[in-house]
Amino acid sequence: MDKLIDDEILVKQFQSGSQRAFDELMKRYERKIFGYLLRSVRNYEDAEELTLEVFFKAFRALAKWEPKAKFSTWLYTIASNLSIDYHRTKTRHPVYVLEDEDVLETRVVANDLSSNPEKQIEDMERGRIIREAVDELSSKQKEVFMLTRYEGLPIREVAETLGMAEGTVKIHLHRAMKKLQTLLRPLMENNEI
Amino acid sequence: MGKCIISEAHAIDYVYGELDPSKMDEYKEHLMTCNNCTRMVNSFKRVLQLVDDAEGVYAHNISMPKNLQSKLYRRINAEDPVETTIASKFTSTISNLLTLMNQQKATVFSLFIVVVIGTTFFLTDPFQYIPTYKENVDDTAHVKIQEYRQLEIQRNMEDVLRNRHLRNSNKWDRVSQLNRVKDQARGTDWATIAHQHLKSVHSEL
Repeated sequence: MDKLIDDEILVKQFQSGSQRAFDELMKRYERKIFGYLLRSVRNYEDAEELTLEVFFKAFRALAKWEPKAKFSTWLYTIASNLSIDYHRTKTRHPVYVLEDEDVLETRVVANDLSSNPEKQIEDMERGRIIREAVDELSSKQKEVFMLTRYEGLPIREVAETLGMAEGTVKIHLHRAMKKLQTLLRPLMENNEI
Repeated sequence: MGKCIISEAHAIDYVYGELDPSKMDEYKEHLMTCNNCTRMVNSFKRVLQLVDDAEGVYAHNISMPKNLQSKLYRRINAEDPVETTIASKFTSTISNLLTLMNQQKATVFSLFIVVVIGTTFFLTDPFQYIPTYKENVDDTAHVKIQEYRQLEIQRNMEDVLRNRHLRNSNKWDRVSQLNRVKDQARGTDWATIAHQHLKSVHSEL
């Protein structure tokens, strides 16, 4: 299917009965949504389960969906809500998974054996420090930061996705940046970049 | 030097490339004269660069779960409410219940007990006095009543017939007595007998 077709046109096609249109939408967003959820929940299997849930909900609701916002914004809203629910449930019923992060790292390494292992380990270590720093942010700061930086959404769309005012998003973002600045100071001072 | 409040507000827009173009020149001019803001913006940029570099490696190496699409369609087919039949709904309810029972055995058991007790209280009065052999007593009384009734009718009928021999002359008395017995014996064989006697008395009159 033509990549240049707008998401909204694909949605219309799906609403007219074309399942291939949904397949195309899923192909476009599954990596993004999975990546977003993986960063948010830090567990591969849970992220996969939540990604399925996002597309399942989208499939169900898409028939009646009206393009008040962009399709991607809507999809991220579903993902964001599921991620919030996930963290809420985890807080209420904590499940202690051993070395979750290591499992994730193994998958990451296993996917790219051709590169320089030393560099890869160095990158991984730096990545770990940065991810831990991002995890230190408050839930709202983290959501806002992830959506803007990792998902590349403009501030206006982040505001729509999270149901906040643009000004509030900017405040969270500013605080997130200040905190990251403090947490990542050792990396910056070591001329790591 | 104090904080530049407006400049701080613009810093995020600036590093994210979302600063209003009409304010861009003014902000750049400000950065050239304000060390604090310049330091902050550069620091923000460095943070973002660090994150982006790490993210680049990370995102590149994320392996996607396999067959996500087929898993989704399998789930949609399994849970599509439009196509669910009553049987499948029943099956899924039972399986859900079993899963719940497995997970929350104590809760489900307590709930079951509460439901049983509640139903018992709702349907019956557990404190009501239930006499033993109540049904038999009732039956016996009914039979006894019937027996007494039969005996009473029989006695009255015998009286009428005995009087017939004693006071043969007064047939109208007998008619009225037979009518009383007939009324009393309504629904029994004695009513037929009384009727036959009445007929014979009428024929004699």
